[in-house]
Amino acid sequence: MSGNPYQDDRGNTDASVTNPHGQGRLTPAGTQPNPMPGKQGPFLVGENMTGGYGKTGPDILHDCTIEVERGEIAVIVGPNGAGKSTAMKAVFGMLDLRQGRVLLDGQDITQLTPQARVRHGMGFVPQTSNIFTSMTVEENLEMGAFIREDDFRSSMEQVYELFPILREKRNQAAGELSGGQRQQVAVGRALMTQPKLLMLDEPTAGVSPIVMDELFDRIIEVARTGISILMVEQNARQALEIADKGYVLVQGANGYSGTGKELLADPDVRRSFLGG
Amino acid sequence: MDLLNGFVALANFVLIPAIAYGSQLALGALGVTLIYGILRFSNFAHGDTMAVGTMFAVLTTWGLQAMGVGLGPFPTALLAIPFGILGATGIVLLTDRYVYRFYRAQKAKPVILVIVSMGVMFIYNGFTRIIIGPDDQRFADGERFVISARDFKEMTGLAEGLSLRTSQVITVITAIVVVAILFWFLNKTRTGKSMRAFSDNEDLALLSGINPERVVLVTWLIVASLATVAGVLYGLDKSFKPFTYFQLLLPIFAAAIVGGMGNPLGAIAGGFVIAFSEVGITYAWKKVLGYLMPPALQPDGLMQMLSTEYKFAISFVILVIVLLFRPTGLFRGKSL
Repeated sequence: MSGNPYQDDRGNTDASVTNPHGQGRLTPAGTQPNPMPGKQGPFLVGENMTGGYGKTGPDILHDCTIEVERGEIAVIVGPNGAGKSTAMKAVFGMLDLRQGRVLLDGQDITQLTPQARVRHGMGFVPQTSNIFTSMTVEENLEMGAFIREDDFRSSMEQVYELFPILREKRNQAAGELSGGQRQQVAVGRALMTQPKLLMLDEPTAGVSPIVMDELFDRIIEVARTGISILMVEQNARQALEIADKGYVLVQGANGYSGTGKELLADPDVRRSFLGG
Repeated sequence: MDLLNGFVALANFVLIPAIAYGSQLALGALGVTLIYGILRFSNFAHGDTMAVGTMFAVLTTWGLQAMGVGLGPFPTALLAIPFGILGATGIVLLTDRYVYRFYRAQKAKPVILVIVSMGVMFIYNGFTRIIIGPDDQRFADGERFVISARDFKEMTGLAEGLSLRTSQVITVITAIVVVAILFWFLNKTRTGKSMRAFSDNEDLALLSGINPERVVLVTWLIVASLATVAGVLYGLDKSFKPFTYFQLLLPIFAAAIVGGMGNPLGAIAGGFVIAFSEVGITYAWKKVLGYLMPPALQPDGLMQMLSTEYKFAISFVILVIVLLFRPTGLFRGKSL
């Protein structure tokens, strides 16, 4: 984004006149509110995606394809800088695709804005800043349901059943919670839109191993309710254990793919990414 | 020693004026703090937004007075406030549409918007002066006093008089009502919560389906209303002069920063801190101390710490002290 003079603040850090807190960075790629007709196939398809950040940035994804079936858990793993998060952003429309397309439930959503994708049943939990820290847990969930016109109390009840600790803390500011609880709020917020596909960008980053196991359990529970899950994970071994489908990205391209078990058993994958 | 007379003198010259002035500053600072929290820059045009809104209200007041419409003992300007708000909203929304929106689309850094708001300030400045002129305008009518000093003396038999002006009472009541509505709106309504969410995390608000342009629109509506109400109340209490409103920018910013930028509760507290400091430091305490101190300790001088010409220095000094020692303000704001 360099080269835009309006984004050059010449090193100003004076927060008494400018508020650095919570400023938006997203540059939505798409422009259209309605999807185009596509073709039938898996529930979510990111087909031959090639693209990078901005209009002129170098390609990060190279002909990368990701598919998620209904109610399945798909996991993207790979070494640092392989484009895991980028692939997810491309699916969610925060990246200009130069080639390829994204299909959701048989409809072509490549040109949709991220908000429109939310309306069409995608829920996204970013890796960082994924909760409203100054608002209470309950308000966070309410904001998750912002686009819903109907009564969303039953969804909130479901989230509280999935994450009982949130019910206890529902009047507490979300920013005061522990790392694991914050992740629960973040996932809960995304579930409030009643998504058909939930996308999680490293949900276990920075939480303790015990909390991590619990989060994975909850994610499996969510998948059992029929919601497809696409997840980027650092903890490759554990993620592949729960995955129906795994993708190993190497330098922005599909390296290996298969079921979670296949990948765990594959000697190449084991040697390169799972440490033997 | 005469505690009762001392207290009456204190109330008459310090407490009542400071509470009224503090309420006006608080309303002004709330507007500044909302823009800071949601649009993420310090709006230097706020003083002049107040002037624009007040100007529309003054013009309407004159029209109403000419038509013989009045509110009896209350100032006619109260009827004119909605028209003032309408005028201010119109101007502010036009500005947003043709100025600020461009910079939002560019995702411009806040510091650029600060400078842009200075440009807007000069435009508003000129606009007000072209229409109503640079002079002092009086538009208060109705009953001037709730209790005048002489009535108070006759009623109580005290040596000191206590005067309570209608404008002061109206200021405080209006401020309480407006603040209560604002807090209810921000904390209980869906739109208010979406504004707080947008202020907290713009990207996540976008992902939740909150429309940023709508949040910005509602913010400007509220800010224009707050600015007009604050401006009309200040004008009723003192008088309307465009330059004075421009100068109000300093105490208003001081109030917002002292309270903690981006924190509405802080803005109110800050308004009163600044008002009490300003009135307290520029007041000649000789009279009050004369009542309160034993005769042997009575002061010879005026006991005025600073002359009233320096009242802006006080806001400025408080501002500097707060930024040095507690940059987040009294209440935890967002700065630094």
